[in-house]
Amino acid sequence: MIKPKHILLVIILGLSAWALWPSAEERAGGGRLGDRPKASEADKARRPYHLRVAPALYLPGTMPNNVGKPLEGLTHVAEKFEALFPDTYVEFVGVPAVREWLVTQLAAGLAPDIINVNVEDVWQDVQKGWYVPLDPYLNRPLPFVKPAEPGSRQWWDVFKYQAITRGKAAPDGLSYCISFDMVETGIFYNKDIFERLGLGEPKGWPEFLALQKRLKEAGYIPLVVPLGSIADWGVDLVFDQLYKSLRPGIDLRTDPQRAAYLEGYLDWDEICLLHQKGFFTRRDPRWVDLWRILKEWRQYWNKDLSSADPMRLFVTQKGAMFWTASWSVNQLARDPDIAFKWGVFYPPPIPASFNPYGDGHTMCVIGGSCTQLTVTNTAFSDTGRPETSQRLKRVIAFLQFLTLPENAEPVINEVKAFLPNIVGVEPHKELLVFDEILRRPYTTTKWSYTFDLRFNEIFQRMFDLYLNGGIGEEEYLEWTEKNLDAAARAILVRKKLDLAPLERRWEELAPARREMKGLPDAR
Amino acid sequence: MTRKRRDLVLHAALIAIAFLTMVPLLFVLNNSLRTNNEMYHAFFGLPGSLVSIAKFTWYELTGQPDRIRLRADEQERGETRAADLPVQTLSYRQAMARLGDDLSRGYRYSWKVLRPYMVNTIFVCVVTAVGVVLIGSVAGYVFARHRFPGHRMLFVAILSLMMIPGVLTLVPSFLLVKQLGLLNSYGVLILPYIAGGQIFAIFLFKSFFDGLPEELFESARLDGAGHFALYWHIVLPLSKQVVAVVGVMTILGTWNNFLWPFITNADARYHVVASGLYLMGQSQVAANFSTMFAAYVLSSIPLLVLFIYATKPFMRGVTSGAFKA
Amino acid sequence: MRDKLQAIVRNLGLYAILSPTFLLLAVFCFVPFVWAFTTSLYDYEIGGDRVFVGLANYGEYLGDPTFWSSFRNLFLLTLVSVATGVVFPLGIAKLIFSLSGEHARYLYRVVFLVPIVVPGVATLMIWGGMVYGDNGLVNELLRLVGLGDWARGWLAGPDTALWAVAMIGFPFASGINILIFYAGLAGIPESVHEAAWLDGASGVGKFFLIDLPLVLSQIKLLVILTIIGVVQGFQGMFILTRGGPGFRTMVPGLWMYFNAFSFQRMGYACAIGVVLFLLILVLTVLNLKYFKSSEDLQAAL
Repeated sequence: MIKPKHILLVIILGLSAWALWPSAEERAGGGRLGDRPKASEADKARRPYHLRVAPALYLPGTMPNNVGKPLEGLTHVAEKFEALFPDTYVEFVGVPAVREWLVTQLAAGLAPDIINVNVEDVWQDVQKGWYVPLDPYLNRPLPFVKPAEPGSRQWWDVFKYQAITRGKAAPDGLSYCISFDMVETGIFYNKDIFERLGLGEPKGWPEFLALQKRLKEAGYIPLVVPLGSIADWGVDLVFDQLYKSLRPGIDLRTDPQRAAYLEGYLDWDEICLLHQKGFFTRRDPRWVDLWRILKEWRQYWNKDLSSADPMRLFVTQKGAMFWTASWSVNQLARDPDIAFKWGVFYPPPIPASFNPYGDGHTMCVIGGSCTQLTVTNTAFSDTGRPETSQRLKRVIAFLQFLTLPENAEPVINEVKAFLPNIVGVEPHKELLVFDEILRRPYTTTKWSYTFDLRFNEIFQRMFDLYLNGGIGEEEYLEWTEKNLDAAARAILVRKKLDLAPLERRWEELAPARREMKGLPDAR
Repeated sequence: MTRKRRDLVLHAALIAIAFLTMVPLLFVLNNSLRTNNEMYHAFFGLPGSLVSIAKFTWYELTGQPDRIRLRADEQERGETRAADLPVQTLSYRQAMARLGDDLSRGYRYSWKVLRPYMVNTIFVCVVTAVGVVLIGSVAGYVFARHRFPGHRMLFVAILSLMMIPGVLTLVPSFLLVKQLGLLNSYGVLILPYIAGGQIFAIFLFKSFFDGLPEELFESARLDGAGHFALYWHIVLPLSKQVVAVVGVMTILGTWNNFLWPFITNADARYHVVASGLYLMGQSQVAANFSTMFAAYVLSSIPLLVLFIYATKPFMRGVTSGAFKA
Repeated sequence: MRDKLQAIVRNLGLYAILSPTFLLLAVFCFVPFVWAFTTSLYDYEIGGDRVFVGLANYGEYLGDPTFWSSFRNLFLLTLVSVATGVVFPLGIAKLIFSLSGEHARYLYRVVFLVPIVVPGVATLMIWGGMVYGDNGLVNELLRLVGLGDWARGWLAGPDTALWAVAMIGFPFASGINILIFYAGLAGIPESVHEAAWLDGASGVGKFFLIDLPLVLSQIKLLVILTIIGVVQGFQGMFILTRGGPGFRTMVPGLWMYFNAFSFQRMGYACAIGVVLFLLILVLTVLNLKYFKSSEDLQAAL
């Protein structure tokens, strides 16, 4: 018999069917993040090359930082491109920020054709054929420009920051990405609070610590920063301050192609050999000091490094300074509810008066390229080989099209986050302060990109514990040593590294090292 | 203690426990109706829109329509500061429309993201449950009522596969489906679940069929019924309880499975609710609290509907004593 | 032999009916099972070459920095989960069972079933974000009563993270455990209750001495299911803490996941999986052998 329960069931099923049916806009092909509303199924079917691009921050339809209107810059670029190439359809997708996911998709050949990924992550896997080297295209003229414009001789010429862009070549000498825009970090500070307390931008590390002490006494959190940023930027900056003066004695390889920007940079093989010689161990006084300096600094940061929301703390004026990158300008400049004036300065150098190994040289930078567009193995999946692939030609063409000034400008400047790397495209005025910062020298090494993910994972976790008092200095140093040992062994095998040439150079540089103090003894 | 007194004490204890259990859920429901701004400022508090609705209705009924005032819509403000937005006097109807919009905003936004996941999940769950019930009941019937060479050995082999923990086969299964080319499809979500879920189903069905009297089948067989007829007309109608238990547990398991859909799907097209919720939490949407909470509420509705209809047979199945070691 | 073959041919129809079952099982259950063991003997990086290393992966795991902390965490979590998964539901089931009205008993059983409708992932995210968050339920309650100093990042603190994860689901009253225990209690024959009443046993004493032993089979089942669930489960850790801070909430399953899908060391990950499998096997066998079920007790009486 029909009970009220059954009638209710029918009603529920009816409601569900209505709720689950795609709305009108979705049926027309749009509705999903990045989807373009005007494409119809028939149109898509006519175009055999279906490219997928993951542009990260510029994904159409999203609203970065929840301010402003949904983005549409890339949508217009795609439409112009499709008018030129009637056999291609370009789709924009969002990808999860979880690294394991990306690796899984690359292994399966399912990743988007163009992705934005830190190219140093790419370097780890180049031997697997997952990525396409872009040098053949970069060395040739750009097809879409007129004879006198930048790019008519070489695609390389459209890029504004030449040293940084060329410096992104992998240790094997090939360039796997193009740098679309630039980012840099900076310490954003609350000008109102500083004025009230009579503080100014610090010129040296001791002054920096002193002003943080004043802020703490006044009841503010002197510096809000997430753990990931400290583990990456903080470590690299202080490391550079302590080790740069050693470069003449420890820089074992000079790479002419990357030298303009990466002079003195220590790659993974150099680090492996130096570690064998005793560097980066408990017997290396600079190494020990590095961690002590960071631990001493920690007292001025937010109590909870992992789950606190630093932007919120800064915006509600509980935190006086916020170490973040230029992407935060998008929110800070556009959020109408921010009631204070803010400015940006860069961390000050560590003088010899503070630490015997510091020499007070300008703090290096660790940013540089932000959106690094890489071409994956999906791009040549039509024939399986890059030389014969037609689809790859379309992918490269899109990438080239995107770097034209008239196309790059509306995309990059739709948000106030990054500086354009394209000649002829000017950044927003709030970002000009970062342009100055970008001209500083690059760091000595980037620890989070040197070894594999296992190293990073263990390193970051132990660093977290060390900063929060979970383990003591002795135990922490022991952990980092063991971690480095394991990572060095693994990478020697994985990359089939040959340290012999570096060993020879080490011998050659012995005289340069004779004058240096504080060097560790070999094991 | 008298019975009544004892009952009162028990009720008090149980109500306290039930309340504690429901507290997070109540907060989620409450917060899904508040706007982001409200939650940014204070954790505790009723949805402002509900309070306003009550207030304005009272004003309308007591003849004070001029007190119905709201700040201009925050969504459209552009670069104006929130504190500078003008306060407007609205008609009752306009105010209700605005407040309704505010209340439902979280739900509307999250449904836009959640809807395709929901469709996928329902599809996958229903197909899996049907597959498990069909294959499980058929196999259980065959093992229970027939003797053929190797039947004991085969049954033990099947049962022993139940011992394999998911953690052991996670990585090899991924490698396997990658080789089979199933990644990024409905197949990878359905076939392994059916393969795994049927084991428990076979076990339950066999135990149930073992308990049925032989005469039932004898008479039908004498009437000339073949396997299929036996199955359709006798076996299936009798096993409603077991079907309910197996069906509900399969749907529950499939609905909640997060890891497998997450690692085997690149395309947003094939994500299910579980992995979809996690992705939402990792994306920009996570900054929008009302959207996230609304998403939690919405993702619970289908199972709620399921339980309204399946609780009685499910409880009967559990109580029937099949669950013991 | 002859009649065996004849029997097989006669029953060909039955084998045919069973073929989908066996096909699915063979492909999706058996093959991965075997592969887990074989892959663990190789150093296999996805997209790279396979190198046979024998038992080196196992040796390396024993020396892995996360080995002792993972298993210590696993042990603690198992203890807590078994306690909360058995003690609380049993108590609550007894409370419900002692009510006098049939309607009330049914109502409470349904009420405690309701939290199951929230998907597991949502529950974890609710607890992680809303309850344990910086401005979440626990911290806001503390601030409300003036104990704001105790507010902290529960999932981020080295000492609190593991217990915070263990406490998720707090009154531990949801799920089918209550139903299973209720069924067990309902299955105690009336004669036992009468005999106890005649002997003057009642209330709490009766519960421990008489009811408890008779629901032992349910307890046994739930204990083994909980143990298996905890040993191989790492979804919670993955979503909430990813094993941090440090390795304070790392469990072997999560480390296996990272090794496979993040560090791409498939062989090593399979080795970890095999170790976990052996652990589950040992625990199950122990449980079956040494814990008498209530059937055995009744038979012995």
